[in-house]
Amino acid sequence: MMTEMVASNETILVIGGGISGMTAALEAAECGKEVILIEKNPSLGGRISQLYKYFPKLCRPSCGQEINLRRIKANRRLRVITMAEIVKLSGSAGDYAATIHIHPRYVNENCTACGACADAVVSEIRDPHNYGMSPVKAAYLPNNMAYPQRYVLDPSIIGTEEAENARAACPVDAIDLDQKAQTIHIRCGAVIFATGWRPYDASRIEPYGYDRYPDVVTSAELERMMDPFGPTGGKLVRPSNGEDARNIAFIQCAGSRDRNHLPHCSRICCMASLKQSTYLSEQFGEDADASATIYYIDIRTIDRFEDFEQKVRQDRKVRFVKSKVASIAQDPESGKPVCRGVDTHGYDRYENVHDLVVLAVGMEPGLDLGSILDTGHGVALDTGGFIELDDANDGVFGAGCATNPLDVNRSVQSATAAALRAIQVVNRVSAS
Amino acid sequence: MGQTVSAQGSANQAMVDKYRNNFLREVEANVEEGDWVKMCMQCGVCSGSCPLGNAWEHPPQELFMMIRAGQREEVLRSESMWMCTSCYNCIVRCPRGLPITHIMHGLANYANRLGLAPKMSPTRRFAKIFWDNISTTGRVNETKLSIRLYFMDGFVKGLKTAFAMRKVGLGMLLTRRLNPFALFAPGGIKNKRQLQQILKRAYEIEDQRKGFQ
Amino acid sequence: MPAESKTATYICRGCTLGERLDTDHLVQVAQSECGSHLAKSHDYLCGRHGVELIQNDIDNEGVTHVVIGACSRRSKTEAFGFGTVAVARANLREGVIWSQPDLAETREATQEMADDYVRMACAEIKFMQQPAVNRERGANRRILVVGGGVSGISAALGAARAGYEVLLVEKTDALGGWASTFHRKLPDREPYARFRENGMDDLINQVETSTHITVFLNATLSRTSGAPGQFSVDIATRGGTASTENVGAIIQATGFSRYDARQLPELGYGKSADVVDQAQLEEMARKSNGRGLVRPSDGGAVESVVFVQCAGQRSDKPGHLSYCSGYCCNVSIKQAMYFKDQNPQTDTNIVYTDLRAPGNGEDFYRAAQLKGVAFTNGSVDQVTVDGDRLAIQFRDEILDREEVIHADLVVLATGQVPNSGIDISAEPAGEAGSVHGGQARVPVDSILNLDYRQGPDIPHLKHGFSDSHFICFPYETQRTGIYACGPVRRPMDIAQSVEDATGAAMKAIQAVEGAASGRAAHPRSGDLSYPSFRREGCTQCKRCTVECPFGAIDEDENRYPVFNESRCRRCGTCMGACPVRVISFENYSVDSVGQQIKAIAIPDEFEDKSRILILACENDAYPAMDMAAQNRFEYNAFVRVIPIRCLGSVNQIWVTDALNAGFDGVMLMGCKKGEDYQCHFVRGSELAHERMGKIADTLSQLQLETERVEVHEVEITDIHRVPQLINDYAATVDGIGPNPFRGF
Repeated sequence: MMTEMVASNETILVIGGGISGMTAALEAAECGKEVILIEKNPSLGGRISQLYKYFPKLCRPSCGQEINLRRIKANRRLRVITMAEIVKLSGSAGDYAATIHIHPRYVNENCTACGACADAVVSEIRDPHNYGMSPVKAAYLPNNMAYPQRYVLDPSIIGTEEAENARAACPVDAIDLDQKAQTIHIRCGAVIFATGWRPYDASRIEPYGYDRYPDVVTSAELERMMDPFGPTGGKLVRPSNGEDARNIAFIQCAGSRDRNHLPHCSRICCMASLKQSTYLSEQFGEDADASATIYYIDIRTIDRFEDFEQKVRQDRKVRFVKSKVASIAQDPESGKPVCRGVDTHGYDRYENVHDLVVLAVGMEPGLDLGSILDTGHGVALDTGGFIELDDANDGVFGAGCATNPLDVNRSVQSATAAALRAIQVVNRVSAS
Repeated sequence: MGQTVSAQGSANQAMVDKYRNNFLREVEANVEEGDWVKMCMQCGVCSGSCPLGNAWEHPPQELFMMIRAGQREEVLRSESMWMCTSCYNCIVRCPRGLPITHIMHGLANYANRLGLAPKMSPTRRFAKIFWDNISTTGRVNETKLSIRLYFMDGFVKGLKTAFAMRKVGLGMLLTRRLNPFALFAPGGIKNKRQLQQILKRAYEIEDQRKGFQ
Repeated sequence: MPAESKTATYICRGCTLGERLDTDHLVQVAQSECGSHLAKSHDYLCGRHGVELIQNDIDNEGVTHVVIGACSRRSKTEAFGFGTVAVARANLREGVIWSQPDLAETREATQEMADDYVRMACAEIKFMQQPAVNRERGANRRILVVGGGVSGISAALGAARAGYEVLLVEKTDALGGWASTFHRKLPDREPYARFRENGMDDLINQVETSTHITVFLNATLSRTSGAPGQFSVDIATRGGTASTENVGAIIQATGFSRYDARQLPELGYGKSADVVDQAQLEEMARKSNGRGLVRPSDGGAVESVVFVQCAGQRSDKPGHLSYCSGYCCNVSIKQAMYFKDQNPQTDTNIVYTDLRAPGNGEDFYRAAQLKGVAFTNGSVDQVTVDGDRLAIQFRDEILDREEVIHADLVVLATGQVPNSGIDISAEPAGEAGSVHGGQARVPVDSILNLDYRQGPDIPHLKHGFSDSHFICFPYETQRTGIYACGPVRRPMDIAQSVEDATGAAMKAIQAVEGAASGRAAHPRSGDLSYPSFRREGCTQCKRCTVECPFGAIDEDENRYPVFNESRCRRCGTCMGACPVRVISFENYSVDSVGQQIKAIAIPDEFEDKSRILILACENDAYPAMDMAAQNRFEYNAFVRVIPIRCLGSVNQIWVTDALNAGFDGVMLMGCKKGEDYQCHFVRGSELAHERMGKIADTLSQLQLETERVEVHEVEITDIHRVPQLINDYAATVDGIGPNPFRGF
């Protein structure tokens, strides 16, 4: 099925509905521009919706998200399409055509998020919101802050009796099992890629045994564990047996600054681990018998983040070891992970048993742009695949982590700048 | 390995004079893969990955830092780089891609050439025995090698070692990994003289390249 | 309410509302009790037919005010947004049936709850108007940029390229700022292994040839007044000429000053000409122009140079900066490369504690190593003059020992100090200069010279940076229509400054467009309401002018407040502050909330019928309650919740009225206050705590227990906690018994 969406060469297309994409889309739309925002997942929010807290304020990502969602709901110039992926982009500034693939949600806009379909379904899938660490019904609301506030049916139950049960349970005829994947074309004047990042695949760091030891997790997964709606119900525990994880190791540069993996520094991981070290006090109390060990090469908490580092350094529970952990083994008796390496300050060899090891994994670009572009011009990428700013990119701009490993604050700055660059293009179109 | 002790001593002095206080530059110029030393970022993963790390007084990244800091004598007289067994863990894991194994051997080799290598280091002596063994005939003679190795600290010690290792030896005999007749059979490659010539020329080229002459 | 106003109430029966509640009764409540002109129920109100029903009544029945009794205002917002009419939402789904058990014995209490929410919505709508556009708005779309360095230039070019007129004011006699003095700049794109030409000549040329940009050199702002869309600025030039210009928005890109390295005598600064800071080295490199860098003292060759990182930074010593300037590691790498490129034999040693080259800076770091730049993990204690060389004494952290090395030149990596003008929150003038980041500063001149009641510059945050406090909204400043960018916000390099300035230009453009159409700026972006006040009732107490978090309110010559509507962010803090209740918004007022409180039916008996009023911040506490209900977490049936814009907008009269009306307790739920405050209206939660602290006296005068009013900090994620808080409080209220005013 091919559909044309009403848009013009003054429309700005934003790809990716995480914090950067939402910001770019909103900033442009609140300036009076027509904006279409597409997101590949069933809900907007992206990575920030999976974060427990933001550094350095330790505030909640959903607080800002609530504001952004209110802005989106109130803005009629901004249209949102979820479960949509860009597959091709052709044309040039002021005249692009984007081919968008829309996956079926099997739930239409009639949905009131009442949850009757989920009650009617028994099957479970691995919850993508929790990185698959816990199950969720195959008819589900992506998360508490989901926007659109609409359920999704997992394709795995389509064609089964369960899907029929879900349809029958829905009081408002919102379940449409005949939905098919569709391809639409969007005309637009400028394109912002806010396609974000994905955590580096930790299982590729073989000596750390991420795929062998249950008590070795990624920093992204730890954020989910702290969430009361996460896989451990907000408890800091060993995934292997549910015991308290009071002695936690943080391994910095897990995949970053490493020519075997990602050559760049992912920038956010130092602050992420420092932030996560405060979870111990939150979970077990300020004076608890708990400890965090941060294994690092350099602590890169630049500018104001330095204050946060100094605050964490005052916490007696937190220990800093200048060392890249060489390998992780499993203690044969307790089954706990053991970090092995050498403290480069004074060369002490260590073999430290921890309850939980958190790999501060690096950032990779979320989208391989090369396979999508069919434009009259190229887009400059750095060696890591991040989008560079280049006049030759014409009407294509990167925003947020699509351009570099960035923290949330810098992502929003970048996205706001990208919105202006896109406006410059469409204003040229309207002036001519 | 063909130099005399006095030749080694003068070579050492020549290097000291040539590079003054810049040991890093000396290493870069004379040590196999020595120009990688400067790329170390002191993460410590090489030291932590080394299976024999406990045996090292100065693990690789400390050696690199000592080189940087000009601790020439301490580095070259160190037994540490002789501990490397070429397992390549460090090379595989080094985030900066330093060929650490090769640098360790390069350092050992260089120290040896200058006559600074620790005389009684067992690994150094093993290396010499091994080299003598293989370079004479062009083939490793396992039987001769084991015997020379076992008896390098005297007859009694040798007997003790041989006794302690008897199970391994027997196993090797049974699986034909060790041939007792090789003790008497000369073995080796066909044209040993040619091998010697090749090696001699290789030494010359190497010495020329490294500034020994 | 206009004469021809007509209210219609629609009760939804969907989502089991029809099964759980007596919706006919709700229709009756709306119609006969509340006087709704029309009242209907519908099986599926947010569906196409439901929405059409409402739209038809608006189009054909003259309905001007709509009450929706269905789900939370956060759900189906688009479906129930009718644009032309005011809408009030009675939260029957999340607020009632989803948060209450479905049991026969609780049915009555649940129905009472629903009845009250319909009454409240009907009461609210009587005092709500669809806002008319503010007549005071200005439509000037010019952008003023203060500061002609790389940030200011980038902001100016960003706005100009989008077609906006720009005035660029620079206090020196040339554009370019610090960036122009740099020999080379850090790599901001591939190849990251290599520094780049600073590119400033090209940027300056673009400014000079732009038809959209007017440059004022040797110029400062001697006065700034007005509001977004209608600022008036006096630009004073050194020659003494002044001109008055009108602009729509302002970008402050006033950059930084070098940290004064004379405060670092222990590092040899001032004791030898061969100890320089990074800025001086750039100058030397630029001036040498390929002839080679030499020692400043004697023009001799530099055979060895040591870079001392974190000089006077990341330190809690008096006079030092506690923060990290972030770019200095990369700059030292770049400068070490100058020497290596000039002569590969030069010894270059960077002594650092943490090598901070984030992102692709790692490539730059590697490239320097490849060139033979040495990196030593350590901290420098002292630099002394030793003959004609310098002795650098430091601790080598890797080799774990004290070391001394000698060098011909030492470069100190000192930090940036923001040029953020006067700290309006500091001690009154006359005191010695305020302390920033541990560094004592001499009194400074104002940058903007705002004629605002609250002071001449934008508020400073920690360390004197003019930064926004918010992670997700970096441009959310406390002065509407004025955006800071570049190193005045936080230490930055050129690439970051360019990005930041481009973002600030975006926000400035948005501000002028918003102002022209009368719309509020972030976070209530698009809100068309604005504060109005009844002058005759005003007692000139000045609370509103003092407490406005955005400095929007000035005072006229008779000390009456002047609201500057376009500067207003619609938080309602002024409304909460006003003791005589003369400030209101068309869609949010003392009455629109107060009348809801009065509409709630207070039963005569107390047993199993206590009543608790909750005033909940609409951004955090209210969504948390919605999400609790979404998860079917239950809470006490005797609470009545009213969402409010901000706790700062809570007027004490609401609380006293509630207690007078017989409410047994009042809970205020706002967001986190204090240093890491989460309130997007800055001080709302804090103010509520202060004001309610004072209410305790009133309570004791009335002989009421102080527990009858509680203030809580609630986060949006407190989905489990909020029901618990409510239930705990309900138990407390049960414990202290009924409000003696009940039934009066």
